[in-house]
Amino acid sequence: MKRHREIASSPERTAGEAWQLITELLAATLERSSDISRTDVEETMGRAGGVGRMLVSGGHVEADPLVLIAGDLWLEITTVSGDAALTLEENLNPVPGGASAEGWTLHLPAGGPLAKFVKDLAKSEPNISSDEPSANAARAVRETESVLSDTALAEWAKERP
Amino acid sequence: MTTLTRTTTHTRTHTATYLSDVIMGAIGDILGALGINPMTFFTDWDQDQRAIAAWIEEGSLEQVVLECHRPDGTVRPVFEFPITYEPRGEGSANFVNSRAALARYQAKLTSVPSGTRHRLFCTFNGYRTPQPGWSPGTRASTAGLRSTSFGSLAEAPHARANLRFLR
Repeated sequence: MKRHREIASSPERTAGEAWQLITELLAATLERSSDISRTDVEETMGRAGGVGRMLVSGGHVEADPLVLIAGDLWLEITTVSGDAALTLEENLNPVPGGASAEGWTLHLPAGGPLAKFVKDLAKSEPNISSDEPSANAARAVRETESVLSDTALAEWAKERP
Repeated sequence: MTTLTRTTTHTRTHTATYLSDVIMGAIGDILGALGINPMTFFTDWDQDQRAIAAWIEEGSLEQVVLECHRPDGTVRPVFEFPITYEPRGEGSANFVNSRAALARYQAKLTSVPSGTRHRLFCTFNGYRTPQPGWSPGTRASTAGLRSTSFGSLAEAPHARANLRFLR
Protein backbone atom coordinates (compact mmCIF):
# COMPACT_ATOMS: atom_id res chain seq x y z
CA MET A 1 0.00 0.00 0.00
CA LYS A 2 1.35 3.39 -0.98
CA ARG A 3 1.22 6.21 1.58
CA HIS A 4 2.53 9.75 1.73
CA ARG A 5 3.30 12.01 4.67
CA GLU A 6 4.49 15.61 4.74
CA ILE A 7 6.71 17.03 7.48
CA ALA A 8 7.20 20.76 8.05
CA SER A 9 10.80 21.94 8.10
CA SER A 10 12.06 25.52 8.42
CA PRO A 11 10.89 28.03 9.52
CA GLU A 12 8.53 25.82 11.53
CA ARG A 13 11.43 23.72 12.84
CA THR A 14 15.12 23.11 12.11
CA ALA A 15 16.37 20.32 9.85
CA GLY A 16 17.56 18.44 12.93
CA GLU A 17 14.12 18.64 14.52
CA ALA A 18 12.46 17.57 11.27
CA TRP A 19 14.80 14.56 11.01
CA GLN A 20 13.95 13.62 14.59
CA LEU A 21 10.24 13.77 13.75
CA ILE A 22 10.80 11.56 10.70
CA THR A 23 12.70 9.14 12.94
CA GLU A 24 9.80 9.01 15.40
CA LEU A 25 7.31 8.46 12.58
CA LEU A 26 9.33 5.54 11.17
CA ALA A 27 9.98 4.03 14.61
CA ALA A 28 6.31 4.21 15.60
CA THR A 29 5.28 2.68 12.27
CA LEU A 30 7.82 -0.15 12.26
CA GLU A 31 7.73 -1.09 15.95
CA ARG A 32 4.30 -2.63 15.29
CA SER A 33 6.13 -5.43 13.52
CA SER A 34 7.26 -8.31 15.73
CA ASP A 35 10.43 -8.61 13.62
CA ILE A 36 11.63 -5.01 13.83
CA SER A 37 13.11 -3.34 16.89
CA ARG A 38 12.30 0.30 17.56
CA THR A 39 15.79 0.75 18.93
CA ASP A 40 17.35 -0.52 15.70
CA VAL A 41 15.30 1.96 13.69
CA GLU A 42 16.23 4.85 15.98
CA GLU A 43 19.93 3.92 15.95
CA THR A 44 20.03 3.63 12.16
CA MET A 45 18.26 6.96 11.76
CA GLY A 46 20.64 8.49 14.30
CA ARG A 47 23.67 7.37 12.29
CA ALA A 48 21.97 8.68 9.13
CA GLY A 49 21.20 12.00 10.80
CA GLY A 50 24.12 13.95 9.34
CA VAL A 51 23.16 13.18 5.75
CA GLY A 52 19.49 13.46 6.71
CA ARG A 53 19.92 16.99 8.03
CA MET A 54 21.77 17.95 4.84
CA LEU A 55 19.01 16.51 2.66
CA VAL A 56 16.28 18.33 4.60
CA SER A 57 17.99 21.71 4.94
CA GLY A 58 19.13 21.64 1.31
CA GLY A 59 15.51 21.24 0.23
CA HIS A 60 16.28 17.91 -1.46
CA VAL A 61 13.46 16.04 0.29
CA GLU A 62 10.86 18.53 -0.96
CA ALA A 63 11.04 17.26 -4.52
CA ASP A 64 12.44 13.75 -4.07
CA PRO A 65 10.87 11.83 -1.20
CA LEU A 66 12.43 9.57 1.36
CA VAL A 67 10.84 6.20 0.60
CA LEU A 68 10.34 3.56 3.27
CA ILE A 69 9.69 0.07 1.96
CA ALA A 70 8.67 -2.42 4.63
CA GLY A 71 6.73 -5.48 3.52
CA ASP A 72 3.69 -4.23 1.66
CA LEU A 73 4.15 -0.68 2.92
CA TRP A 74 5.54 1.95 0.54
CA LEU A 75 5.73 5.20 2.47
CA GLU A 76 6.89 8.42 0.84
CA ILE A 77 7.94 11.28 3.10
CA THR A 78 8.53 14.79 1.81
CA THR A 79 9.33 17.97 3.69
CA VAL A 80 7.72 21.37 3.28
CA SER A 81 9.61 24.60 3.94
CA GLY A 82 8.93 28.33 3.66
CA ASP A 83 5.51 29.86 4.27
CA ALA A 84 3.74 26.57 3.60
CA ALA A 85 5.56 24.96 6.54
CA LEU A 86 3.84 27.34 8.96
CA THR A 87 0.35 26.27 7.95
CA LEU A 88 0.95 22.62 7.08
CA GLU A 89 -1.40 20.18 8.80
CA GLU A 90 0.78 17.19 9.62
CA ASN A 91 -0.33 13.66 10.30
CA LEU A 92 2.28 12.24 12.65
CA ASN A 93 0.37 9.08 13.58
CA PRO A 94 2.00 5.71 12.86
CA VAL A 95 1.40 4.70 9.25
CA PRO A 96 -0.77 1.58 8.80
CA GLY A 97 0.96 -1.35 7.16
CA GLY A 98 4.09 -1.66 9.27
CA ALA A 99 2.87 -4.55 11.41
CA SER A 100 3.35 -7.21 8.75
CA ALA A 101 6.84 -6.08 7.74
CA GLU A 102 9.72 -8.47 8.30
CA GLY A 103 12.36 -5.93 7.32
CA TRP A 104 12.70 -2.37 6.14
CA THR A 105 14.70 -0.18 3.80
CA LEU A 106 14.76 3.60 3.69
CA HIS A 107 15.66 4.93 0.25
CA LEU A 108 17.30 8.36 0.29
CA PRO A 109 17.38 10.69 -2.72
CA ALA A 110 20.86 10.27 -4.17
CA GLY A 111 21.02 12.94 -6.85
CA GLY A 112 22.70 16.33 -6.75
CA PRO A 113 25.68 17.41 -4.69
CA LEU A 114 24.99 15.02 -1.80
CA ALA A 115 25.07 11.89 -3.97
CA LYS A 116 28.43 10.66 -2.69
CA PHE A 117 27.49 11.23 0.96
CA VAL A 118 24.24 9.28 0.49
CA LYS A 119 26.00 6.42 -1.31
CA ASP A 120 28.75 6.22 1.33
CA LEU A 121 26.09 6.06 4.05
CA ALA A 122 24.18 3.33 2.21
CA LYS A 123 27.35 1.21 2.01
CA SER A 124 27.66 1.14 5.79
CA GLU A 125 23.97 0.94 6.74
CA PRO A 126 22.05 -2.18 5.63
CA ASN A 127 18.68 -0.49 6.12
CA ILE A 128 19.59 2.58 4.06
CA SER A 129 19.64 2.54 0.27
CA SER A 130 20.74 5.02 -2.36
CA ASP A 131 18.98 3.08 -5.12
CA GLU A 132 15.74 4.12 -6.73
CA PRO A 133 13.07 2.32 -4.69
CA SER A 134 11.27 0.85 -7.68
CA ALA A 135 14.45 -0.76 -8.97
CA ASN A 136 15.18 -2.17 -5.52
CA ALA A 137 11.68 -3.58 -5.13
CA ALA A 138 11.90 -5.16 -8.56
CA ARG A 139 15.21 -6.76 -7.60
CA ALA A 140 13.67 -8.20 -4.44
CA VAL A 141 10.93 -9.77 -6.53
CA ARG A 142 13.46 -11.19 -8.95
CA GLU A 143 15.47 -12.66 -6.08
CA THR A 144 12.33 -14.30 -4.69
CA GLU A 145 11.55 -15.73 -8.10
CA SER A 146 15.09 -17.01 -8.36
CA VAL A 147 14.86 -18.77 -5.01
CA LEU A 148 11.57 -20.38 -6.03
CA SER A 149 13.05 -21.51 -9.32
CA ASP A 150 16.08 -23.05 -7.60
CA THR A 151 13.79 -24.87 -5.17
CA ALA A 152 11.61 -26.15 -7.99
CA LEU A 153 14.67 -27.35 -9.87
CA ALA A 154 15.92 -29.21 -6.79
CA GLU A 155 12.54 -30.86 -6.33
CA TRP A 156 12.47 -31.77 -10.00
CA ALA A 157 15.96 -33.27 -9.73
CA LYS A 158 14.95 -35.42 -6.73
CA GLU A 159 11.92 -36.72 -8.57
CA ARG A 160 13.95 -37.84 -11.59
CA PRO A 161 14.37 -41.61 -11.78
CA MET B 1 -21.62 34.72 3.47
CA THR B 2 -18.97 33.77 6.01
CA THR B 3 -15.35 34.51 5.31
CA LEU B 4 -12.68 32.60 7.17
CA THR B 5 -9.19 33.95 7.48
CA ARG B 6 -6.08 32.45 8.93
CA THR B 7 -3.35 34.69 10.28
CA THR B 8 0.22 33.55 10.59
CA THR B 9 2.62 35.59 12.67
CA HIS B 10 6.18 35.65 11.42
CA THR B 11 8.51 36.04 14.37
CA ARG B 12 12.23 36.75 14.55
CA THR B 13 12.61 33.14 15.63
CA HIS B 14 11.04 32.00 12.36
CA THR B 15 13.41 34.23 10.41
CA ALA B 16 16.41 32.93 12.37
CA THR B 17 15.39 29.29 11.96
CA TYR B 18 14.77 29.72 8.26
CA LEU B 19 17.96 31.58 7.39
CA SER B 20 20.20 29.36 9.53
CA ASP B 21 18.63 26.29 7.92
CA VAL B 22 19.15 27.57 4.37
CA ILE B 23 22.75 28.58 5.17
CA MET B 24 23.54 25.18 6.73
CA GLY B 25 21.93 23.42 3.76
CA ALA B 26 23.92 25.53 1.30
CA ILE B 27 27.17 24.75 3.16
CA GLY B 28 26.30 21.04 3.07
CA ASP B 29 25.65 21.19 -0.67
CA ILE B 30 28.88 23.10 -1.26
CA LEU B 31 30.92 20.53 0.72
CA GLY B 32 29.28 17.83 -1.39
CA ALA B 33 29.98 19.65 -4.65
CA LEU B 34 33.62 20.23 -3.68
CA GLY B 35 34.10 16.67 -2.37
CA ILE B 36 35.11 17.71 1.16
CA ASN B 37 34.70 15.19 4.00
CA PRO B 38 31.63 16.34 5.96
CA MET B 39 32.13 14.37 9.20
CA THR B 40 32.89 17.30 11.50
CA PHE B 41 30.10 19.28 9.86
CA PHE B 42 27.72 16.40 10.69
CA THR B 43 28.95 16.15 14.25
CA ASP B 44 28.56 19.83 15.05
CA TRP B 45 25.43 20.45 13.00
CA ASP B 46 22.85 21.07 15.74
CA GLN B 47 25.24 23.12 17.87
CA ASP B 48 26.28 25.27 14.91
CA GLN B 49 22.76 25.83 13.66
CA ARG B 50 21.56 26.80 17.13
CA ALA B 51 24.40 29.31 17.43
CA ILE B 52 23.82 30.85 13.99
CA ALA B 53 20.07 31.07 14.63
CA ALA B 54 20.59 32.68 18.05
CA TRP B 55 22.93 35.29 16.59
CA ILE B 56 20.56 36.08 13.71
CA GLU B 57 17.67 36.40 16.16
CA GLU B 58 19.57 38.90 18.30
CA GLY B 59 20.84 40.72 15.18
CA SER B 60 24.54 40.34 16.00
CA LEU B 61 25.64 38.04 13.17
CA GLU B 62 27.42 39.87 10.36
CA GLN B 63 28.28 36.85 8.24
CA VAL B 64 28.99 33.13 8.23
CA VAL B 65 32.19 32.18 6.42
CA LEU B 66 33.12 28.79 4.96
CA GLU B 67 36.85 28.41 4.30
CA CYS B 68 38.37 25.50 2.36
CA HIS B 69 41.87 24.70 3.64
CA ARG B 70 43.89 22.74 1.10
CA PRO B 71 46.71 20.35 1.99
CA ASP B 72 49.26 22.74 0.42
CA GLY B 73 48.31 25.41 2.96
CA THR B 74 46.33 27.65 0.63
CA VAL B 75 42.76 28.61 1.49
CA ARG B 76 40.32 28.65 -1.40
CA PRO B 77 37.57 28.84 -2.28
CA VAL B 78 35.90 30.89 0.45
CA PHE B 79 32.14 31.36 0.74
CA GLU B 80 30.69 34.26 2.71
CA PHE B 81 27.05 34.49 3.81
CA PRO B 82 26.46 38.12 4.87
CA ILE B 83 23.25 38.88 6.79
CA THR B 84 21.30 42.12 6.39
CA TYR B 85 18.58 42.99 8.89
CA GLU B 86 15.14 44.55 8.71
CA PRO B 87 14.54 45.08 12.44
CA ARG B 88 10.86 46.00 12.19
CA GLY B 89 10.02 43.08 9.96
CA GLU B 90 9.70 45.20 6.84
CA GLY B 91 11.78 42.74 4.81
CA SER B 92 10.36 40.06 2.57
CA ALA B 93 6.72 39.29 3.30
CA ASN B 94 7.47 35.63 2.67
CA PHE B 95 10.12 33.04 3.31
CA VAL B 96 11.85 32.56 -0.02
CA ASN B 97 15.15 31.06 -1.12
CA SER B 98 17.30 30.69 -4.20
CA ARG B 99 18.26 27.04 -3.76
CA ALA B 100 17.50 26.26 -7.41
CA ALA B 101 19.85 29.01 -8.59
CA LEU B 102 22.46 27.83 -6.10
CA ALA B 103 22.22 24.29 -7.49
CA ARG B 104 23.04 25.59 -10.98
CA TYR B 105 25.91 27.59 -9.51
CA GLN B 106 27.27 24.58 -7.60
CA ALA B 107 27.37 22.52 -10.76
CA LYS B 108 30.13 24.84 -11.98
CA LEU B 109 32.29 24.35 -8.87
CA THR B 110 35.38 22.26 -9.38
CA SER B 111 36.35 19.76 -6.71
CA VAL B 112 39.26 20.50 -4.37
CA PRO B 113 42.28 18.25 -3.69
CA SER B 114 41.79 15.24 -1.45
CA GLY B 115 42.49 16.12 2.17
CA THR B 116 41.01 19.62 1.91
CA ARG B 117 39.23 20.51 5.15
CA HIS B 118 36.62 23.10 5.91
CA ARG B 119 36.44 25.70 8.69
CA LEU B 120 33.44 27.81 9.69
CA PHE B 121 33.77 31.36 11.01
CA CYS B 122 31.22 33.89 12.11
CA THR B 123 31.85 37.63 12.23
CA PHE B 124 29.72 40.08 14.19
CA ASN B 125 28.28 43.58 14.14
CA GLY B 126 29.00 44.11 17.83
CA TYR B 127 28.39 42.26 21.07
CA ARG B 128 27.04 38.72 20.69
CA THR B 129 25.86 36.18 23.20
CA PRO B 130 28.48 33.42 23.61
CA GLN B 131 27.40 30.10 22.17
CA PRO B 132 28.68 26.58 23.02
CA GLY B 133 31.39 25.21 20.74
CA TRP B 134 32.43 28.59 19.34
CA SER B 135 35.61 30.41 20.30
CA PRO B 136 37.58 33.35 18.88
CA GLY B 137 39.60 32.60 15.75
CA THR B 138 41.39 34.29 12.91
CA ARG B 139 40.18 34.16 9.35
CA ALA B 140 42.54 33.32 6.54
CA SER B 141 43.54 36.18 4.27
CA THR B 142 41.41 36.58 1.18
CA ALA B 143 43.99 38.80 -0.55
CA GLY B 144 44.37 37.80 -4.16
CA LEU B 145 41.04 35.97 -4.33
CA ARG B 146 38.48 37.14 -6.87
CA SER B 147 35.07 37.90 -5.40
CA THR B 148 31.79 37.07 -7.10
CA SER B 149 28.42 38.01 -5.62
CA PHE B 150 25.68 35.42 -5.91
CA GLY B 151 23.08 37.82 -4.52
CA SER B 152 20.29 36.85 -2.17
CA LEU B 153 20.28 33.23 -0.99
CA ALA B 154 17.26 33.49 1.32
CA GLU B 155 14.85 36.19 2.43
CA ALA B 156 12.55 36.43 5.44
CA PRO B 157 10.56 39.18 7.17
CA HIS B 158 13.32 40.29 9.54
CA ALA B 159 16.53 39.53 7.63
CA ARG B 160 18.15 38.29 4.46
CA ALA B 161 21.12 36.02 3.77
CA ASN B 162 23.33 36.72 0.78
CA LEU B 163 26.18 34.73 -0.72
CA ARG B 164 29.59 35.81 -1.91
CA PHE B 165 32.14 33.49 -3.49
CA LEU B 166 35.90 34.11 -3.40
CA ARG B 167 38.30 32.00 -5.47
